[in-house]
Parts: sequence; C-alpha cells; structure tokens
Amino acid sequence: MLLFSGVGKSCLLLQFTDKRFQPVHDLTIGVEFGARMITIDGKQIKLQIWDTAGQEAFRSITRSYYRGAAGALLVYDITRRDTFNHLTTWLEDARQHSNSNMVIMLIGNKSDLESRREVKKEEGEAFAREHGLVFMETSAKTAANVEEAFINTAKEIYEKIQEGVFDINNEANGIKIGPQHGGAGSGGGAPGAGGAPPGGCC
Amino acid sequence: MFRSRSWFGGGWGRPKNPHSLERLKYLHNILCRNTTVSESNRGILVESLRCIAEILIWGDQNDSSVFDFFLEKNMLSYFLRIMRQKCGGSSYVCVQLLQTLNILFENIRNETSLYYLLSNNHVNSIIVHKFDISDEEVMAYYISFLKTLSFKLNNHTIHFFYNEHTKDFPLYTEAIKFFNHPESMVRIAVRTLTLNVYKVQDASMLRFIRDRTAAPYFSNLVWFIGKHILELDACVRNDADHQSQQKLADLVAEHLDHLHYINDILCLNIPDLNDVLTEHLLHKLLIPLYIYSLTSDTMKRPVYNREHLQSIEVITRNLEAILTGKSTDTPPRINYPIQRIESEEEIKPSVSCVVALFLLSQVFLIITHGPIVHALAWIILQSNLSVFEEGATKILDMYDRNAKSNVKLEFSKPQLSLEKALENTSCPERDYTTPEYAEAKSFGEDLDNTDHSSCDLDPELVSNSLPSTSQISETSSIAHDSTEDLVTQIQTIKRNPAIPKANMPDSPLPDSVEPSKTVTEMNITDEEKQKLLNVMPGTSGDVTEDIQRTTGNIENRPFLKTVVDSLDCTENDYKALFALCLLYALINNKGVNPELLDILLRPEADLSKASTSSGSPDEGERKEKKDSFNGLLIAELMAIANLCCKPASKVRLVTCELTVRLLRTAMQFSEGSVTSRQTANVLRARAAALARNFYKCDDIFLDMFEDEYCEMSKKPLNVECLCMDAAILLPPTRTPMSGIAFEKRLPSGEMERARRAIRTFFLIRELYLKLTGRPESQLPLANPAPFVQVGDVLDLNDSDLISCDIIQRDGTWQHRFLAVDNMQVILVEPDKQRLGWGVAKLVGSLQDLEIQGDKEDPRCLHLIIHKPRVGANGALPRTILLRAKFKFDDHIRSMAAKQRLTKGRTKARQKKMQQIGRLLEVSGVAALPTPSSHRHRPLFARPALAAVRRHSGIDGDDTERRIRRTSGHVLKDGIVVYRERTTTSRESSVSRGSNGSRDSSPRARSEEIPLEDIRRSAGSATPVVRNPIPTTSHPKVTNASSEETSFISNDPRKRKGIVETI
Repeated sequence: MLLFSGVGKSCLLLQFTDKRFQPVHDLTIGVEFGARMITIDGKQIKLQIWDTAGQEAFRSITRSYYRGAAGALLVYDITRRDTFNHLTTWLEDARQHSNSNMVIMLIGNKSDLESRREVKKEEGEAFAREHGLVFMETSAKTAANVEEAFINTAKEIYEKIQEGVFDINNEANGIKIGPQHGGAGSGGGAPGAGGAPPGGCC
Repeated sequence: MFRSRSWFGGGWGRPKNPHSLERLKYLHNILCRNTTVSESNRGILVESLRCIAEILIWGDQNDSSVFDFFLEKNMLSYFLRIMRQKCGGSSYVCVQLLQTLNILFENIRNETSLYYLLSNNHVNSIIVHKFDISDEEVMAYYISFLKTLSFKLNNHTIHFFYNEHTKDFPLYTEAIKFFNHPESMVRIAVRTLTLNVYKVQDASMLRFIRDRTAAPYFSNLVWFIGKHILELDACVRNDADHQSQQKLADLVAEHLDHLHYINDILCLNIPDLNDVLTEHLLHKLLIPLYIYSLTSDTMKRPVYNREHLQSIEVITRNLEAILTGKSTDTPPRINYPIQRIESEEEIKPSVSCVVALFLLSQVFLIITHGPIVHALAWIILQSNLSVFEEGATKILDMYDRNAKSNVKLEFSKPQLSLEKALENTSCPERDYTTPEYAEAKSFGEDLDNTDHSSCDLDPELVSNSLPSTSQISETSSIAHDSTEDLVTQIQTIKRNPAIPKANMPDSPLPDSVEPSKTVTEMNITDEEKQKLLNVMPGTSGDVTEDIQRTTGNIENRPFLKTVVDSLDCTENDYKALFALCLLYALINNKGVNPELLDILLRPEADLSKASTSSGSPDEGERKEKKDSFNGLLIAELMAIANLCCKPASKVRLVTCELTVRLLRTAMQFSEGSVTSRQTANVLRARAAALARNFYKCDDIFLDMFEDEYCEMSKKPLNVECLCMDAAILLPPTRTPMSGIAFEKRLPSGEMERARRAIRTFFLIRELYLKLTGRPESQLPLANPAPFVQVGDVLDLNDSDLISCDIIQRDGTWQHRFLAVDNMQVILVEPDKQRLGWGVAKLVGSLQDLEIQGDKEDPRCLHLIIHKPRVGANGALPRTILLRAKFKFDDHIRSMAAKQRLTKGRTKARQKKMQQIGRLLEVSGVAALPTPSSHRHRPLFARPALAAVRRHSGIDGDDTERRIRRTSGHVLKDGIVVYRERTTTSRESSVSRGSNGSRDSSPRARSEEIPLEDIRRSAGSATPVVRNPIPTTSHPKVTNASSEETSFISNDPRKRKGIVETI
C-alpha cells in the first residue's frame, strides 16, 4: 500500500479532517493521522483515521493495522497505472488479515488531472464491482468527493453496526462507544464511535 | 492618505497572501503577544499554530527565507512554552500544536530544514513533555507525532534523538511506555516506532537499547504475551459451546501479531538485540509456558510436577550451554534481576496441551530465527528423561508456597516496573545493576531464592553453572553415551506393557506403545496389518521388537511423546490436528537444523548405515545409533489415514489432508519401496470403498464429485492460514451453523458425509499416486471428445441442426442453429462464405446444461449453458455462459430439441459416471472403457467430408520453422471441425504421424499431405476457413485417454478418405 508516494492519500486525509487547510495549487500537505466528528442519522460519530504509510517493510505492522480498523480506503492514483495494478495484492492482504466485515472503499485519486489520466473510471468501477467495494473518484487538490468518500465509508460502517454485524463491545473491531453525547434530540446510547479506517492506501 | 490608511489597517490585520514571509512574521507577532494561554486568546493561538504549519510547508517547497525566519526566531520554543502551561482547555491547544508538529515533520522535504528543526533539542523537550494522555485525542496525536519522527530516523538524524553522552533516548523510551496501551492503534504505533529505531543500526544507540532498555522492554513484552496466552487458554477451557468465537479469534490474532512483531525484530538481524530477545523468549515464555504445558495434561500433578519443574530447570541450563558463547559475551548491564519473574513463570498455571500445541505451531510457522526455533525443536525432539534427574530442588518449595497466588495480579507487576525502569534509564548516572533497581522488579518476599533460578542472565551465575551445565547437556545429548541412560531405556522397554495406561489417565494411547494393538483397533485383516507394519523401515526381521524399542525411547522423551501421543484419533482428532500442525511447522521451519529433523524423517537404516540391519536387536549396537522415530511417526500417520477411511470416522478433512501431506514428507526416503506401495494400495482401496458407498447414478453425485475436486485443487491446505483460525481451537463440532468451514468440522448429514468421503478419496489417492510414483491420469475427469472451440468453422452438411432464436433477458435476440455433440452443445451461425458450413459462436457443456420448458409457449425452451470443463478448466467452478430463452419454429422442433438435449445430457453424465465408477472400482463398471459401442454411433451416414488446409502464414513462418496446419475432427452428428494448429517442428509431427494407429490423431495424419497440396488448397480455403483464435494459443488435445484413442482409431480409413477428396 504504501509504496506509492504520489498517490496523495495523506492529502486526502488532511482535506477531510481539517477543513481549515484550503487546497491550494502550489502546496501539498498531508498528515498521517486525523480525527473528525461527523453526524450520521443525527448521531455524533468520531472518526479516527490512521495512515498506514511507510510500514510495508514490517509484516507485523500491516497485519495489525488491518485488524484494528472498521474500514479502509484503498487509494490509487488515476494518473499512474502501476498504483492501480497493485490493488489486487493489497486487497488480498487486507482480506486475509482484516475482519471480514471491514468496509473497504476504492478511491481513484487525482481526478483533477484528467489530461494525465491512465486508469479509466470504468476500470475502477469494474474492479470495485468485482471485489465488492464501493468506488469513487476524488481529488485532494480540488476537494472533490473527499468528504463523500470518508462519510460514505463511515455510513457503511454505521449501517453494519446497526445491523449488529460489528460487535460494538469488542474494541478489537476498531469501534468504541464513547460517552453519551447530549446531542440535540439524539436518543440514548448514541454511539460516539471512533471508527478507525486507516487510510489504507496503496 | 486614505489609501495609506487602508494599507495601514490591513497591515495590522493580516497580510493578504496567506503564504508569505510577511504572514509568518505577523503570526510570530501574535505568538509573542500571547505568551500565556487564556480563554480569550485560545482561538487565535490555535489558528496561528495551524497557519504556521501551512506557511512552513509552503516555504519548504517554495521560499527558503520562511524557514530561516522560523529558526532565527526560535519559534519552537514558543510551542514549548504554550504546551507547558496548564490552563483550561489546554488539550485544545495541545492537539493543534501536535498537529502542527506532525504536519511539519511529515511534509518537510528539505534535509537541512529538518536538521535545523531538530538541532536545538526542543523536539526532545516536546517528546518528554507530560501530555494529558488520558485525553484520547491528545494521546492519538502524540503517538502519531512520535511515530512520524521515527520515520525520519537515519544514521544522521539519530544523533538528534539519542544523546550518546547522557545516555538519553527519549523518543524510544517514552514510546515504549505505551507498548501495552489499551488502544490497539497506539500499540501498533509503538511497535512501528521501535522497529524504525532498531532499523537505524547505529552501534552506540543499539548498545544503549540493549544495555538499558532491552531487558525491561522485552521481559515486559514477554509477560504481556504470556498474559494473553493465559486469557486465551481460559477462553478455550470455558467455551466448549463456541460461544465466544469472536473473542477467541481476537486473542489468537493478537498472539500472531506479537509473534510477527518479534519475528520482524529478529529479522533485522541485530545480533545483540536478538540475543537478549531470544533469551527472554525462551527462558520466560516459550519453554516455561509453552513447552512445559505439553506435559502438564498427561501427567497428573502433584506426583510429577517435581520432576517437571526440575526438567524445566535442567533444560534451561542445557539451553544456556547451547547458547553459551553468547551468554558469556553479554555485558553485565544486560542482567536485570529477572530471575524473580522466572520463578513466577514456572509456578503459574500452565495452558492446556491443545493450546500449547497450537501456539507452538504458530511459533514454528512464523519465527525462523535459528537460535530460538532450533533450541525449541531440540527440546521437543531430544530432551529425555535424564534431565529430570538433575537440577535444583528448591523450585518445588517455591511452587508450593506460591501455587495459590493469583496469576493475574502477578502479571500486572512488570508493567509498572517498565515505567520505573525507563524512568531510571532517563537518569544517566544510575547504575542499573544496583539494588534499588532490583527492588523495582522484585516480586514477593522470597528474594533469597533467586540465585536458584538458573534462568538468570547474570554471567557470573552462568559461568558458575557452566561446568555442570555442560555435563548435563552431555548426558542428555543425542548420543546416549551413559550406561545409565541405556539402563533406563532397557527398563522402560521391559516395563512397557504395564506402564502406559497407568501414568496417562487422560489419553489411553495403546497404539503408541504397541503398534500391533493399533493395527487391531483399526479393524483390518492380518494380511493388511502385515502390509502396514512393513512400512516400518530398516527391518527385515522382528518388526514389533523394533517398534517396541522406539517406543521405549519415546518414553524417555516427554515432549516428543506428548506430540506423538496426541496423534491418536480414536476418540477424536482435536489434539491430533495441532500435533500435526506442530510437526508440519517444525519440519518446514527453515531455522531448524535439518540434521535434527532426521530422527523424524530418516528411517533408522539410513541413520546408522554402519550398524547391522539384522533383525536381532542387539542393544549394544543399537545404542550407538541415533534413534529414529520415523517408523513410529509413519505408523501413527498411517493410523490416522486409516481412520479417515472409516464411514463413521471422527477425523476431519483438514486433519486428513495434513496427515497425507506429512506422510509424504515422512516417507520421502522410503518412497517407492515395495512396502510403501502396498500400504498405499491398501489405503486407496479403503478410501475408494468409502466413497463407493455414496456412488449413485443421480445428478448430485456427479456434480458433487466434480465440485469437490474443483474445491480441493482450488485451495490446497495452507497450514499458516489454518493456524490463524481460532475456530479450530474449540472442540470439533458437527453443525454447519457454527460458521466453521466444512473441512474444519465433522460432516453433518448424508450429503456432507458423501462430500467427505469423496474428498478423502481424492486425498488418499494423491498419496497413493505419490508413493507409487505414478502420475495422475484420471483426474480431473477428462472429457473424451475433442472439443469444438468458439470460432471454429464446422462442416455441418447433413448434420442435425435445429434453427432457433435466442432471446436474452434484456430483450436482445439472435438467430442461431443448435447442434449437439457428445459432450457439448454448440450454437452456430451460418458461414456466409460457404453453404453448409457454420461458425461456432458458443460452446457449452452438455453435462451441465439446464433445460426447462416454457409454460406459456410450447415453442420455447429455457436453457442455462455452462462453460465446458476441459483440461485445467475441469478443476474450475462452473461458469454460466448463457441464460436465455430459445424459441424454435414450432412445438415439434422444440420438443425434438428438448429430447436431443436431455438425451445428450444424460449420456454425457453417464460417461462421467463410468469414469468415476472405474476410479472407485465400482463392480459392474468395466475396468477398461468400451465407449465406441455406444458413443461413436453416427446418426447419419457420413457424407463426403471435406478437409481443407491452408497455409495462412506468410513465408516468414517457415523460416521460423513453425508451420500452421489445420486438422479435422469428426464429431457426432456429422460435424467436422477444422482448426489451425502450430507445431514447433515439422519433423516431429511427421514422425508421430507415421506411427501406428494409436498415434494417428487427426493432426498427425494431415501431415502426410504433400506440401504442394497444402499450398494449392490454401488459396482456395483461406476465405472459407476463418479461425479467429490465435493458433498458438490453441490448446493441444488434452484428453489423450484411451477412450479417445479408440474413438479415433476406429476410422482412420475414413479420415484418409476425407483428405483425398480435396
């Protein structure tokens, strides 16, 4: 996952977790960790997002990451075919080590660079369909779809929690019930869940 | 004026360009004016800190003066000052600070900037700052800050973090305090950081790590793992009903994480660090907890525990002797007073044998570091009873005193001591061997006993004990030199029949003691028994005596005995599966010295070539040999394989598969021998008999047979994956509702029993073929007729064709002709160029065809066509090619089509069932096929058939010595296929063609045409015969079965006639 520095996943992460950083064309900033509160179904949910970058050298680390997360974003660069070609390996790894319930979203990043596109949108869609992932093209530069990508992933996790797929009492899933939030009108037991999708990125 | 005022006002506000030096100056100004954090300025401070990160990164990428300003004003010191203030909502500011720092260190590309940032030690001050880690968010940002820094470590930057003079390395020591943090992401970050630190390989830094931190960190790590293991064990013990699978899965995964982490450290190959880690692992976890637990189930306490405790003692000493070179080299600093922990470890409750076997399998599957795995393997395989006779006695007293103490409480102690140890570490002057330090690590009041725990790493102690240790290791060594040892052996043999049940109430395992009993239990005839026994290598004479002797030896090896005893499956295969896993992992571990494995893998005869092979077991001679347990192992495995073939067997498929695999390894040196062949044959016959019970001429059996084969070849057993599955830790279950995969549980119901029988047959057959050295020729079930491919041009003159419209669900329709071959249903489109010819547009398997009439329209049929199973595809799952409504001209044609298809389907299936029948030796199915009688029965007199040849390639093809040819295949119903083929050498084809009728396949025959003919006919044929399939990719005729031969050889004359008509 972490072989491709040009993928810009840490920029996606910063874009999502800190709105105050406006995307500017001559500046690339990324972070490896970020947290943000979102509201789904009137319930406050805290997302913690960890980037797994640079840890591919150690098998133990990647393994552990997969397991501790409720969701993952699989990011490739639409201007670089090689990043797309490595998705299969990454996904196999993720599926092998992760909880089978982990929500995985496929992200084709840098959708702003249409002229240098190497991977067609249809290819991404086909890959996602084949492997049962949710697919989306984003741009950390223009912030297009960034919000949607993370929130959709969180929504799917949330749905799984509602369905009882995730055992929320088991923190090994990467989900934790927080103290009750006195959110306006929200019923008791609102899960202030810290779903922690690592920016599992290629 | 007005304008200047406007500018002036803007100036005091903020510079317009957010990315500029001016802006940074402005922000600096804000920091200067707001040195104390308060409710009112909190917001502006946070925003300023955020902006600083943004500008600095912009500056790093665009304008170096920005960074110069930042350093010149020493702005990091402002950060520190803000951080150190305790005020309301400081976490808000702290989070922003940490984020800014994260961004800063993560995004800086300019190396010099990085050096400057690190140079004034502010970063270290930030690292040691006591953040409010109870705040989840602060903790997360803090640990990612540390992790981010660790990624910046290299041979240069390490000196900014590790101070050689003060012996100070806050980044590392602060981080490892959180190694056991409840939040998994934090733990992962700590592990990442430590690995990043070790990776730098700076000698001085590593020395610090080893001397000051390795012992406390690793000992705590090991404790932590041990605690998990006990939790895991409790979970297994208390959950016979599969209630907490999820929790168990997490605990298993956690253990795997630890092992992988340890392996990652070991793989960095830092000798000093590895030595410390190895010692801690072996002395404090693997031997006392894992290995020791192997015997705890079978031998009841307290009668035996004295011996066991001593055995651990002595074994550990032996180990030290093995590792001596390293132990004596280690400097005094390393020797923390860990003996206390040691004694605690030894007396704490052990885990169950099942868990121990499972965990040891994981260890051998993951860790390959020689000193660890080899030592473990040596202990399991070689340590013998003589170790019980040596050793200190005080441990037993200690055991009695502490036996009732709460283990969990004991376990929590070292965590605190790590904190303390690290606090001490940060004070450079502190001598770590001083008593105060020892006190921090001490447990309970029995301090005076410490020196008796041999696992202490104090070199003084080690060297003191060295002479005795080496003695011990000699007595317990492979050679069995001492006469005493011999006496024990003989005595054990003599006592044999009486002993076993007496001392192992839990596992009555008569077979391991007396193989003849095993055989009788297997309920087989004397003749077969003899065959089974003959597998034992190296004996021409008295088999039983030889085995008895081996058994006698195994009585001397408590751990190996447990493993071998566990292989007994008469009640169930719960333990056996883990014993198999362990053996497999042990044998396949690269770190284990292969010579050590010889006692398992080599027959006795191989091991001691010098020794006589005479049947009389002269003890004097025997003594000089190495013991071989190969025969015993094979006998045990064969017993499992035999049990697998019983109808009501309690052996799971996964056990069977693993047994077969191990048998292949264990018999690698006796492969091909007459006896092994005989045994294999007996086994195969049994497996066939088992599967035969379910052989029925219904649709399901055939589908099941092919699906099971497909399943089996698709995913061969992966032991590593198997050992990751916590579900197998629970007693074997039957119900599929447990969510456990079919292979890993017992069959439920008739269907699954059939599946199990079929699968067992495949596995045993594989073993049989391997042992007899034969290639697999009958599986996957071959499809006898040559296949039509999509795109093939077929001569359909006078063939039975039914015209139809194919209407797909989306409304699209096509007009096609339906033709039926022996094994296939073919949809053709008329060839526009030549009347009476057609191009195959779709070829499906007749066998898997699903036919259904249309209730409303008698002219219609609903068909589901699957991909044909050819060659390698035979092992793939069925894939649907077409699901559509077929509309015929009238209801008569529709009925005709239905009849033909149904009949064809039945026949295709009958053919396959015959193949299976032959495989399973079903009585009534002829041993050799006589297919031509019913198979090749042309419905119509064959018309004059035309074979067309063309030379489609340009001349260049000839220069490559590749020629293209077409060949005709005569199918049923007068369909002829023409297809181009490529061979690499014309000569070889010709020579094949000139062979007898057996080899006269159509392609060879066509070679006999003079080249001129080809050239000539090529011109005329080219427009007609179009083959879109690249010739080279065309598969060769895969099914060279006898059926095909007979089919082809039936009409060579006719074929010749075909050619002549051109």
